[in-house]
Amino acid sequence: MDSSGSANADSDARGAQRPLSPHLSVYRPMMTMMMSIAHRITGAGLYVAMALLTLLFLGVGMGGAFYTAFGWLGSSAIGGLLVFLITWAIYHHLLGGVRHFLWDRGLYMDPKGREALAIGTLAGGVGLTVLTWIARSLAG
Amino acid sequence: MSTPTHFKSGREGRGAAFVADHHGSEHARFMRLTSYALAPLGILAGWYLAGVVGLPADGVRAAIGRPFPALALIAFGVIGMVHAREGMNEIIIDYVHDPALMEKALRANRWAARAIAALWTLALMLIAAPR
Repeated sequence: MDSSGSANADSDARGAQRPLSPHLSVYRPMMTMMMSIAHRITGAGLYVAMALLTLLFLGVGMGGAFYTAFGWLGSSAIGGLLVFLITWAIYHHLLGGVRHFLWDRGLYMDPKGREALAIGTLAGGVGLTVLTWIARSLAG
Repeated sequence: MSTPTHFKSGREGRGAAFVADHHGSEHARFMRLTSYALAPLGILAGWYLAGVVGLPADGVRAAIGRPFPALALIAFGVIGMVHAREGMNEIIIDYVHDPALMEKALRANRWAARAIAALWTLALMLIAAPR
């Protein structure tokens, strides 16, 4: 390495002039690719969702002005829609994890299997969310 | 049999994010282990969250203030934020290429995840506390 910490400053400089290998742009969208992107988006979304739910629960726990400020997250229509989307994100991300669990064991890695698993993640996430909310409304 | 490689790329700038930092298997193992706990806790959390929508504060307290829902939600929040911090670290490493900015983002993520987990726990303890 030279004094700049680079293995080879000249080759780095030349490398910086060259384009990177294309990755996203050379693929047509595939289910496995879309579900991989969705897994990351739902994960990042759940990070924000946890912060919002923390504010709601702090409002409920502390009451007063805190509940006035954040209670709408649980009691309004927009808050209800947010919580609905959060439950979907939890289930979708959870099933994405199950998909990776199966792939880590070498299961369903053939073209049909991995496509079916990706579709199963999407359908399963939506299905579990709808089932949960129907069961919840029936349970009262 | 695995063969350890001691090669360390000195590549900088564009493309540096594609150079292995040799933490991949450790990260995957950590995410998988936390997922084992989060899978059942996530289903419980989805159930309890769907049950609090539209309720007044007293209703929310009645729904999740009992010991089991409160403990399940606390576990979900704490383990979830540990898992989320690792996941967000990967996103930062993938998309923030400026080393100084990346370092700041990783530090902010560390403290944000800790703050959310701590406040989440405090909130649920307040909800579950006898009145």
